[in-house]
Amino acid sequence: MSIQKDDSRSLLNIEGINTEEHFLHLLQIHDSAFPIGSYTQSFGMETYIQNDQIRTKQALIDYCQTYLFHNLGSGDAILVKESHQAAGNQDFDRLIYLEQICNAMKLAKESRDGSIKMGRQFLQTIFPLEESALLDEYKRRFDDQQLKGHHAILYGIYTAHLDIDIQKAVLTFLYSSVNGLIQNAVRAVPLGQHNGVQAMYEMLPSIKETTNRVMNNTMDNMSNNALAIEMASMQHEYLFSRLFIS
Amino acid sequence: MSHHGKLLLNFQRKNHRTRLIDCYQQSPLKASRELYLDDKKEQATVYLMESSGGMVAGDRNEYDIHLKEHADVCLIEQSATKVYPSYNHRCSTQKISVQLEEGACLEWIPEAIIPYQDARYQGDTVIRMKKGSTLLWGEIISPGREKRDECFLYNEFQSRFQIWVEGECLAYDPIQFYPDEMPLQQAGMLEESLYIGTLWFVSPRVPSLDVQYIHDKLQDCNHTKASVTTLEGKGLQIRWLATDLWAMKEEMNTVCHRFRNVQEQTNIEMPSLGSDVI
Repeated sequence: MSIQKDDSRSLLNIEGINTEEHFLHLLQIHDSAFPIGSYTQSFGMETYIQNDQIRTKQALIDYCQTYLFHNLGSGDAILVKESHQAAGNQDFDRLIYLEQICNAMKLAKESRDGSIKMGRQFLQTIFPLEESALLDEYKRRFDDQQLKGHHAILYGIYTAHLDIDIQKAVLTFLYSSVNGLIQNAVRAVPLGQHNGVQAMYEMLPSIKETTNRVMNNTMDNMSNNALAIEMASMQHEYLFSRLFIS
Repeated sequence: MSHHGKLLLNFQRKNHRTRLIDCYQQSPLKASRELYLDDKKEQATVYLMESSGGMVAGDRNEYDIHLKEHADVCLIEQSATKVYPSYNHRCSTQKISVQLEEGACLEWIPEAIIPYQDARYQGDTVIRMKKGSTLLWGEIISPGREKRDECFLYNEFQSRFQIWVEGECLAYDPIQFYPDEMPLQQAGMLEESLYIGTLWFVSPRVPSLDVQYIHDKLQDCNHTKASVTTLEGKGLQIRWLATDLWAMKEEMNTVCHRFRNVQEQTNIEMPSLGSDVI
């Protein structure tokens, strides 16, 4: 069971914490007001938008399917699961290894930097909220620049600390990653809020399916098959005008 | 019976030349003697040969390459790696381990890996190097025998490539294609492309390269999509997605040639990779 920080800044400053409050905190983490800056990252999608390859709701759904199955589901989501397990086992060496692989697998520089930027903001936001020896150690090594602070790894550590079920952690990570992308497309294409809501609704079964697959997969199943998305992410760095950082 | 090919190569610099000091070879893998080309007398060039003509299910090829301090080596694959159909669900596997000591320089000039219909292939490459060493490494993945209309008819293609620089994982690039289960032509995957080319350049000289210029030059070819990215300021990865193998190979050769030029410049305060160089 996690312990909250005895700090007046903490919004959950009560003794002990129950499952429902963890659930509410999980909702809070995924609220658009939670400041991790996902609205600034497109992870390569903006290149597709500028090339006029995403103009309709269906094109957006097709793109998101590939991103979900062959990028998130075979990369970050597996790392969320692995880091959740490593945090549960208090295995810091394993977490360092997972950080390394996470960093090295994001070959496109902007996607790598985007993941670190979101991770840093996530760490700064959650750190004052909860007391955890593992997070303290992580923060210390992060401040010493021994760790980069990738979002997927930190999300796994924090959800483990909150006793969030590992499957829920993967599910919500995938949901919020796809949702962030769709919200950005709604603004950048533009597509309109209703199309965005419908696109997200159509993605829900795929998110559940991907979560089930991730639960049965290990590091050996990690792959980088969405090569055109990766290339779009590499090319984004050289676009003339950009709305997003990645 | 399955083949288990082995090739263990150990290079050392002696009297301003790199020598192949140990060579253990087990059929069907074989290495040529070291050659010294006229324009690069210090570098040992070795051809890598595979005498069986291709890998069948269950075959295993293993390379173990070690370059001692300041050894300078160019390894050239003599022919494409052909992977024959697997009718027994077993894979053909290839494992490459490379270790580069301080100041060593390795070039690996690739030929395509061609998985035939129903083939199963697993490749695993691990490079371990020192900060002051240099790697120029290429890889080409073909969809099959394109001219026989045999594209993406293989069962399984797995390739995992990693570079470790003194304990830091600089690149981790796993690909797992199962064309029956995943439509490789869908948006974001390979789309209309057939060939995948990758070039890795890790060198102390990377920070001085003009990456924007390299990217701009890569956009000139009509038959390929390509881009470049930097790896922690220590390396570059260039990826091609192409419909035409020969156009892509030509592009890869041009870039390799330019990186070689950059590497050979002895002045540390070298100019950026500008129009006079690339």
